[in-house]
Amino acid sequence: MNNIKSKLPTLDRFRMVNRTFPKTPEIMELKRRGKKVFGWLCTYVPEEIIHAAGILPVRVTGYSQEEELEDGNAYLYINNCSFSRSCLQMGLRGEYEHLDGLVAGSTCDGARRLFDLWVHYIKTPFYHILTVPRKYTEPAHSLYYEQITNFKKHLEEYLDFEITDTKLVQSIQVYNESRELLKRLYELRKLDRPPITGAETMEILNASFRMPKEIFNQYLHQLLMEINVSGREYPSRVRLMVTGSVMNNPEFIHSIEELGGLVVTDELCTSTRYWSDPVVLDGRSPLEAISRRYLSNFPCARMVPSDGRFERILQLAREYHVDGVISQIIRYCVPYAHDLPLITEKLEQIGVPTLALDVEYGTSGSGQIRTRVQAFVEMVETRKK
Amino acid sequence: MTTTENKNEVDLLIRSFRLMARMSRARPTVRSSETLYYQMLSEYYTRIRNANKDGKLLAAHTVFFPTEILYAMDIVPMHTEMTTWLTALFLREQAELLAKGAELGLAPEICSPHRGVAGIFGLGIIPHPDVVLWSNLICDNTAKSGELMMKLSHSPGFFLDNPFQNSLGEMNYLVGELQDMVYFLEERSGRKMDWNKLSEIVARTNLEMEIYREICELRKAVPSPMSNQSYLELLSADYMFPGQPEAIQYLTQLRDELKLMVQQGKGSVSPEHFRLMTLFIPPMYLTSYLDKLFDARGAVSAVEPLFTQWSEGKLDPAKPLESVAMKSFLIPERRSMYGPLSGQALQDISNAAKQYKVDGAIYWAFIGCRHTCATIKVIKETLNEIDVPMLTVDCDIVDPTINSEEEIGDKLAQFFEMLEDR
Repeated sequence: MNNIKSKLPTLDRFRMVNRTFPKTPEIMELKRRGKKVFGWLCTYVPEEIIHAAGILPVRVTGYSQEEELEDGNAYLYINNCSFSRSCLQMGLRGEYEHLDGLVAGSTCDGARRLFDLWVHYIKTPFYHILTVPRKYTEPAHSLYYEQITNFKKHLEEYLDFEITDTKLVQSIQVYNESRELLKRLYELRKLDRPPITGAETMEILNASFRMPKEIFNQYLHQLLMEINVSGREYPSRVRLMVTGSVMNNPEFIHSIEELGGLVVTDELCTSTRYWSDPVVLDGRSPLEAISRRYLSNFPCARMVPSDGRFERILQLAREYHVDGVISQIIRYCVPYAHDLPLITEKLEQIGVPTLALDVEYGTSGSGQIRTRVQAFVEMVETRKK
Repeated sequence: MTTTENKNEVDLLIRSFRLMARMSRARPTVRSSETLYYQMLSEYYTRIRNANKDGKLLAAHTVFFPTEILYAMDIVPMHTEMTTWLTALFLREQAELLAKGAELGLAPEICSPHRGVAGIFGLGIIPHPDVVLWSNLICDNTAKSGELMMKLSHSPGFFLDNPFQNSLGEMNYLVGELQDMVYFLEERSGRKMDWNKLSEIVARTNLEMEIYREICELRKAVPSPMSNQSYLELLSADYMFPGQPEAIQYLTQLRDELKLMVQQGKGSVSPEHFRLMTLFIPPMYLTSYLDKLFDARGAVSAVEPLFTQWSEGKLDPAKPLESVAMKSFLIPERRSMYGPLSGQALQDISNAAKQYKVDGAIYWAFIGCRHTCATIKVIKETLNEIDVPMLTVDCDIVDPTINSEEEIGDKLAQFFEMLEDR
């Protein structure tokens, strides 16, 4: 069956969240009821701690399309990545004025400077930046644990109450459930004819960090049931994986899929790297378990050595039967740009070609990008035959 | 040792530096410290060239790397970024280096010294290192350049993870990282760390920092005694020979020369019209041009807060490894470029503008350096608050194709006219 038109009502609910973000009706209603909302930057910030404090964590993202970034350029200069410029511009223009706090990690130059300038120019009541080691050694884990502990203390001082282990365990359960549900969703994408597209998946993931997790989990559970009975199947000429810089624009994925390449998986911090590994308590204190998960999670290109990231990309390529990789790297996103020649060679060694695209954050994939993707899809299709 | 020699490029560099030293010596108007500077460069690259012959391990390393440890272990350091820009500056090979970097797949947005480093390794125009050492101090480029260098040189490597902030836990982490690096180097070199030697180096580093600070104090004098772009020599002294007799000799000579000039009321430019604050580094390939231009305008770079203003602090030779870790928190670049941009860092820039009585500031907006350029607006506002105008010049420190000499000259001319009107 090739019934690609079956509706998924819950998907529309996710789309509604994304359309109205950052000031979604749900978030603003929670604010009215006195709940605090914190923004976080980068997947090395442990959401569970914010959640356990009774605060709604939402991910700070930039404009959903490629925009003129006059303010972003003026404040961060043109050579910082358009993601950080886009986020800062939204902050400067009051689109995140409802945030009660901002939490970041020292993950890359762009994130560090975005945080610096946010602190300097935007008056959010609470700020915290975590030192995030670049290694996975035991001393690195100890340092990160110390950082997480200090963050929790800072938050407790600000809120004037303790974030108990019980609360942390509850938050871990909520977040792990979300990860498990997303894993189930991704399992469906391994099928020869997946019931969901890459663009639709990105809509779901965007909503996952823009709404209360408990509600997201309910919705996703519902969506998975809808998918099961939908009979949807998406055939494709080629199966693709998207890798590289931060990207959360479903339009970009859609533009690839329009050309006959189905995006079946990804290595993005807004997608697989966001949900991939659970927090494993395994006799550890909740804080230790959170710390270990966040530093050992599917790595960003910032981590050293890069082999960990490369291995997991190769593993994804095999598991999802990927025919080709589209590497989209935002201009001036240096960590990913440095890794590109190394990972391209490794993918080529397992017979997976890579298309390297220099993009700006929010790009829809039109114009020259579209032409290059079209040629790539045709090339990969020819290689398959 | 597996080191192989490529005599052509390193020999050319050595020859250039020797020639420069001879020319400096022959001209009585040139500072003796400048002669010493070229002798240092010559000596530095001679050691690199001879590492294999001398049976010493050659370690390629990124900028702001704690090479005190290498000197204590009798390992020869080779500063990769500095080698790139010196090759570009003295041998004019930037186009070839950058082309090779591009050929290796590095995007043009990656900073040119790092594309050049890949080019240098890819072309094999420098001696083959036995080990590659790199760290995240000072940016993502340094953090990410090591693995490609290892691949291109087929050498083992060690990444030194430098924490972002200065807490006790982070300091301890860095000390642990340094200890791991010592183990790595002991294993690779077959030599044990000489802790006494490291203590001596740390003690000399204290002296080095002390002289450095004296030089900074002398530069507050009006007219300023230090010539334009000479601060690049200051930086290089610590890049090449931290805590080494060579650096001490050079800095002592420079300090004494400056002291004499201050006593005599002499300035490096005469008459001195404009005292400037330099932010970041001007294009290396325009050093002579800018020197002439500044001299003709009576302009002098009096202070460079991002590069020459060390944080307060003293190292403890009894705790050499901790001291090496601490030094990385004292270097000027850390405060202003790597670590969090604190209110104190901005206040220090503002204070420097007042203490050095600057008329204006020039921010060399190096297109490859993201974390410095992100501070342009906030520094400009900070300086404007004390009525110090700032000119921003887009540039690249290695790649001359970003903008022309005339373009930069015109911008500077307009800025000087504006300062004149004030």
